[in-house]
Amino acid sequence: MSGEFNVQTEIRDNTFLIRTEGYINNTAGERISKLFSENSASEIKNAIFDLEKSKVINSIGISYLLEVIELLNERNGKIIFVNLDPSIEKTFKIMGLFQFAQVSESLDAAMQQLA
Amino acid sequence: MDSNYNLTIKLPNIPNIELVAIEGLERMGEYLGITNEKIGEARIIVNEAIINGFEHCGMDNPYVNVEFEMTKEKLTILVTDYGKGFDPAEVETPDISRKLGSANKRGWGIKLMKSLSDGMTIESGPNGTKISIIKNLT
Repeated sequence: MSGEFNVQTEIRDNTFLIRTEGYINNTAGERISKLFSENSASEIKNAIFDLEKSKVINSIGISYLLEVIELLNERNGKIIFVNLDPSIEKTFKIMGLFQFAQVSESLDAAMQQLA
Repeated sequence: MDSNYNLTIKLPNIPNIELVAIEGLERMGEYLGITNEKIGEARIIVNEAIINGFEHCGMDNPYVNVEFEMTKEKLTILVTDYGKGFDPAEVETPDISRKLGSANKRGWGIKLMKSLSDGMTIESGPNGTKISIIKNLT
């Protein structure tokens, strides 16, 4: 298992799409949060996180995702996670994260939720 | 009687070293035919226990010992550090409503380990901390 982490971002219909690949630890989480705050203008109200290629995450990485949720909450926006590994979905549930974010089975379904 | 499989690793405090323990856990689980669901949950527990260990190990003893004992039914995890210790009773249970809007968004490790396991004890003192966790695998 490699600790390598890659992230791709895209803006589609005023929604910030983030696709991650690899372990979401402290440095990866910080990178995601920074990418979001630097590249999402104020008109961006929603974000979709596709974590299909991230099977391992830790709570420090998640704490940086909370920063993104916080920012979108301030904009009255929405955040949707897609393609979550069941253990990550359960972790988010335990943390209560789905009080402030949603989950969807695919990117297309998430885009429809936001339409 | 089921066979026990054991793995003991001494991890130095270097970036992403927790993945070494996780890989060992996954290989043992795969060999014993443990479901992806149970191994995924164990992966989170082990990761959090190791992070916690490194957080408290200090610079004089920058190692964390990880021990697994696995059968088809049960996983026992022991994670030990030799740092200054902490008082588990003083660790506040995190609440996401309060974390959002606060500068400190961390502090989820103990809650996650407890919630995802079937039993956890923490023994901590000035010479270190031992976290013992049971995870049922069936």
